[in-house]
Parts: sequence; C-alpha cells; structure tokens
Amino acid sequence: MRFGDAVGFAFTSLRKRRLRTFLTAAGVTIGIGALVCMISFGKGMQKNVTKAFKSADLFNSLMVMPGGRSEAVGDPDGPRARRAVPAGRTGAVLDDAAVAAIARTPGVVSAYPEVNFPALVGLEGEEEFRLVQVVPAAVAASPAVRVGWGRAYATDDEAGVIVSGPFARRLGVKDPAAAVGKTLRITSVSFDLGKLASLDLSKLFTGGGLPVAQESYDFPILGVTEMTAFGENGPGLGQNDVFLPPGPARGIKRLPITSVWDVFRMSEGGLGYSAVSVKLGSLRDLEAVKSKVREMGFSTFALADQFDEITKAFFFMDMILAAVGMIAIVVAALGIVNTMVMSILERFREIGVMKAVGAGDKDIRRIFFFESGAIGLLGGAAGCALGWATSLLINRIVNLYLARQGMPYIDYFAFPAWLFLGAMGFSLLVSLAAGIYPARRAARVDPVVALRHD
Amino acid sequence: MNAPPLLQTRSLSKTYVIGDVRVEALADVTVAVGEGRFVAVIGASGSGKSTLLNLLGGLDTPTAGTIEVGGALISAMDREALARHRRHVAGMIFQSFNLIPARTALENVELPLIFAGVERAERRRRATELLDRVGLAARAAHRPSELSGGEQQRVAVARALANGPRILLADEPTGNLDSRTSREIVGLLAGLNRDRGLTVVMVTHEEGLAREHADEVVRLRDGRVVAAGGGE
Repeated sequence: MRFGDAVGFAFTSLRKRRLRTFLTAAGVTIGIGALVCMISFGKGMQKNVTKAFKSADLFNSLMVMPGGRSEAVGDPDGPRARRAVPAGRTGAVLDDAAVAAIARTPGVVSAYPEVNFPALVGLEGEEEFRLVQVVPAAVAASPAVRVGWGRAYATDDEAGVIVSGPFARRLGVKDPAAAVGKTLRITSVSFDLGKLASLDLSKLFTGGGLPVAQESYDFPILGVTEMTAFGENGPGLGQNDVFLPPGPARGIKRLPITSVWDVFRMSEGGLGYSAVSVKLGSLRDLEAVKSKVREMGFSTFALADQFDEITKAFFFMDMILAAVGMIAIVVAALGIVNTMVMSILERFREIGVMKAVGAGDKDIRRIFFFESGAIGLLGGAAGCALGWATSLLINRIVNLYLARQGMPYIDYFAFPAWLFLGAMGFSLLVSLAAGIYPARRAARVDPVVALRHD
Repeated sequence: MNAPPLLQTRSLSKTYVIGDVRVEALADVTVAVGEGRFVAVIGASGSGKSTLLNLLGGLDTPTAGTIEVGGALISAMDREALARHRRHVAGMIFQSFNLIPARTALENVELPLIFAGVERAERRRRATELLDRVGLAARAAHRPSELSGGEQQRVAVARALANGPRILLADEPTGNLDSRTSREIVGLLAGLNRDRGLTVVMVTHEEGLAREHADEVVRLRDGRVVAAGGGE
C-alpha cells in the first residue's frame, strides 16, 4: 500500500464521521491551543525582559557598592547581601576619589555615583514624595533613561529635570508631551542649624522635634521618559520618577542620608556613595574590572552574572506553563484512543473485508495509525490558530486595561516559528502515540470473525 | 502426463475451541483441484464448506494438515505471506457481497489494487475494465446501496479478479440472490472459468447449479469429504 493511499484512507474515513472527527480534533485543538498560549506567554516574558536588559545595556553594567571583597550575592538590597557585606567594615569609602579611580580602570567607559535624596515633588498644586535621582547628563542621554518627549538635559549643569511619564500622569498631566516646559517644584528636607541649637534630645527618640527645614527649588521639565512596564530602563533607573543633573543637585540643601543603611555607614566613619554605576565597553572586560574594583575594597554586582539564573528561571517557567498545557494534551490523547477504538468496533466488518481482499496487518495498522495522526495534524493546526488567536485576544484585553493606567502597548506573547512547528510536531507525535494501541488492535482483527460480524 | 493440481489439501483439519467445547469444523479433508477446473463444494449448513474455503483463501489457518496452492505451502505461511496470497493468488467472493458501503463500485474494485500498491491511474483503468467485463461500466459511480443484489455480486466478482488471481473462491455466491440472478452469477463464474481458464472453487448448497456448471463436486458432511466426483 502506498503512503498516499494510506493518507487518503485516513482522510476519507475522517470525512465520513465528520462530527466525531471534529469533536476529537477539538480536544487536541484545545490542548495545543493551551500549550501554544502558555509557551508564547513564557517566551513573550523572556523576550521582553531580555530586550529590556539589552536595550538598557545592562549586561555591560556593573554596580559597585561599599563593602568587603566577598562576592556579591544576588540583589544588593536583599537582606543576605546586607548581612554578608557589612557597612564599611573594610574602611573603603565610595567617595569621589574612588569613583574617579574606578572610572580610570581599563575597560570602564564611565562611572557615576548613585545619588538620590527624598523630596516632595510638586507640579501645579499636586505633590508627592519621591526619591530624586541625580544622574549625569551622559547617562540621562543614554538608553538607560528613555526620554520619549522633550529632551534630556544637555550638560551636568543645566537647570532642568526629567520626569517619568507615569509620574507626570499622577501629578495630573494626562499627555506626557504637555508636561514638557512646565515647572517642577522640588522641596527637599535638610538640617535646620537654628533648630539644632535648641534641640530637645529626648524628643528625638519618639520621632518628634527633628531639627529639619524644608526648602523649595523650581526646575523646568525638559523631558519625560517613556513608560517602562518591564523595567526597560533596568532595575534602578527605570524605577525613578525624577532625574536631576549633578550641577543643580549640588545647590540643593538636603539630608545626606536616604536610609538607615547610610546612618550605619556614616557612623562607621565614611559615608561616601551608596553605589556607583559602572558602564563597561564590553562584557569581556567584566571579570577584570570586577577584580580590580574588589581589590579597591568594594563589592560588586553584575547583572550579567545573574543571566544564567534568569535563563534558568525562564526555563522553569516555560516548563511549568508547558506542564499545565500538557494536562489538556493528555486528555485529548485519551479522546483519540477512545475515538479510534470506537472506530475499530464500527468498522470491524470493513477491516475483515480489507483483509479478505489482500490487506496485510501492516496495511491495516497504517490506515488506523494515519487516521489518528490526521486527527493530530488537524487538531494541531487548529490548536496553533486557536492559541495564537487567544493570545492576541488576551494581549489586547490586557493592553486595553493597562492603557487606562498609562502603560504603553506591550506584546506579552511571542510566537517564534519553532513554537508553531513544535506544537504541530508535538500534536502529531501525541496523536500517533495515541494511535499505537488502536492500530495494533485493528491489525489483529481476525478476518473470519470480522466477516461474520453484522 | 498428469500436471500437478493447482490446489491440494492433505488431511486438513480445523478445530475451534469455544469455551470448553471443541468443535471439529473440518476433519481429514484431502482434495485436489486441477488448474482451470470448476469445482463445487456442496453440503448442508455447518458441514464445513465455508471453513474449507476460508482455509483455501488464507483467511484462516488449519489446525492440522497442509494446503498447497500453486506449489506454495499456504498452511505454513505467516500472516503477511497469507495476506499476499489473498491479494495475488486467491480472489474471494461471499454470500453477503462484502462491499464497503461508503465506496463506489469502482472504488470497491480498486481496493485490492490499492493493497497491491498499484498507482492510481493504472488501478482506475483496470477497475473500469473489470467493471466493464462484468457488465457494470455504467454503474461505476454508484454505491452498493444503489445497486441490486446481482449487481453487487458482479462488483464483488470484479473486485476478486482485480489482481489477476489464479483461483477464484466463491462462498455461497448465490445465497442472497433470486434464482434468475443466481443463474446469471454462476454463469458469469462459469464463463470466466471457460473463457479465461480461471480455476473456480464454489461453495453452494444449490446442488442443481453445482451439477450444471461444475467439473467436479465435493460433498462435505460434518467436516468430512463424503464424496467427490465429476459434475454433469
């Protein structure tokens, strides 16, 4: 029997039992659809995050923090990191001299301190507390700060700020473009020397009577950053709402601390910066720069080191999503077995006739096997279409919902070609596996018994 | 010099075990059919006629004894070899026609050619020619349900001839037909035997038809050959 004839037999038989074919294939369709949907979501997440990291050049970045020579462990703000690297114990202070030394290290393109301070930020009467991030002009103009409207400040001394799109919305400016040119008021908190002289120390322990004063500074908004749903500016800068150049920042009276962590470092002898961002020319320089910086007495954190972990995490996420999809596939496979066994019973006599006119066991096995495979192919193709359509629908609904909250349009699902090919192949494989038992059973039919069958 | 028979059985037995009961369908059957002969096997219901035909056609395997067709030992063949025997050597027709209802007359005739791996255009040509030979060229596109009993049996005959078998095995081919149509069908088989030299073994309970057309009549009773001899 020719291959084409066996395929023809399969499709003729499926056409004859249209409703049952449809229902059985629908099971496969749902299973494959769920699988495609799940995996495309996993791939979408991975693609978005990887793209975000790459676009912000995060793989070529290194964070330098005060602390020992020990290896940085995970999140620098995480509790483990803090315990493992106690503040300033080695005595190395991350001051301007250290920043300059780091910047001179071969392989380093730029190094700038992470400086921020808490302030009340207001625009046309609306006010909110924010950490103001002091960022050099070179960094503000880089992909790390994605200015979508207006521009970044041209020099480190230009008097102007950049705000994030969502923050502008929170302050009542619906159209981010309209925020450009408006005046932002930054009200900082600093020590009030006058109050310090008449300080009632007992009140300090209950949180009252702090010797602080407020001072306001006005800056024109030069640019507004784009929304970054996946932290496209990377962890750190992406989460900041207000960027200020170093020049004007120096003129702002403010507290030298932003957290209890700084208080510890201050009491240990030298405050310095809480962190320094280092940009490398190439990922290849990472190890050399890291060891140099550690020799200076600082600890480091590189996202590139975490990439394997991130990849592994995505792999596990894919596996979990695929496992959920697999449940539907297993149910669909049972449906195929059921349909095919039913088909044997219905076509019992036909099998006998085919054998009587010369069909061998192999031919019968092939006919049933191909029939089962055809269900898989039909179901798989429809499943790919269903998964794709469902993903697009979910994507649209989620984006509609998030657009109301000022989030930009993002493709949460990714459809690499291998996903469809793989899904079709997998569907075919599962249905062929489901067809093994029915095909063998059909091939074993005794023609004499079958021909007597009514 | 006598040519060796095309078909030869020796001490052929077939015993079925149904539960605890052993049913001896055939016992010690030894028959020989020469090439180009028309042999009728007659006997009452349950005498083992159909069992004998199933064994000759390679649909079933004997419990004991041997079957030789054209020098090949059918009784020792494995399942695939038996399938080849059914496909190329022994064409079969049945009382209930056994056409596939969903397929047209032409497609039913094509069926053995499909299993023989004949390519589509060639099998169309051969099936059309066979239908023409049995007088059904005009009914090629009809499904079995649209054909009369006689027409269905003609389609079955055409199908049995598809791969050019050496022997045609007919199991009660007139059992579901009226007497006029029965005569036509047996006449068709006799014509194939006479004109093309096709060896025919026909199981029937109609002794008159058997004696009229057959060269030899083998009479079975309770699974044993009780008489064998020439027809009219």
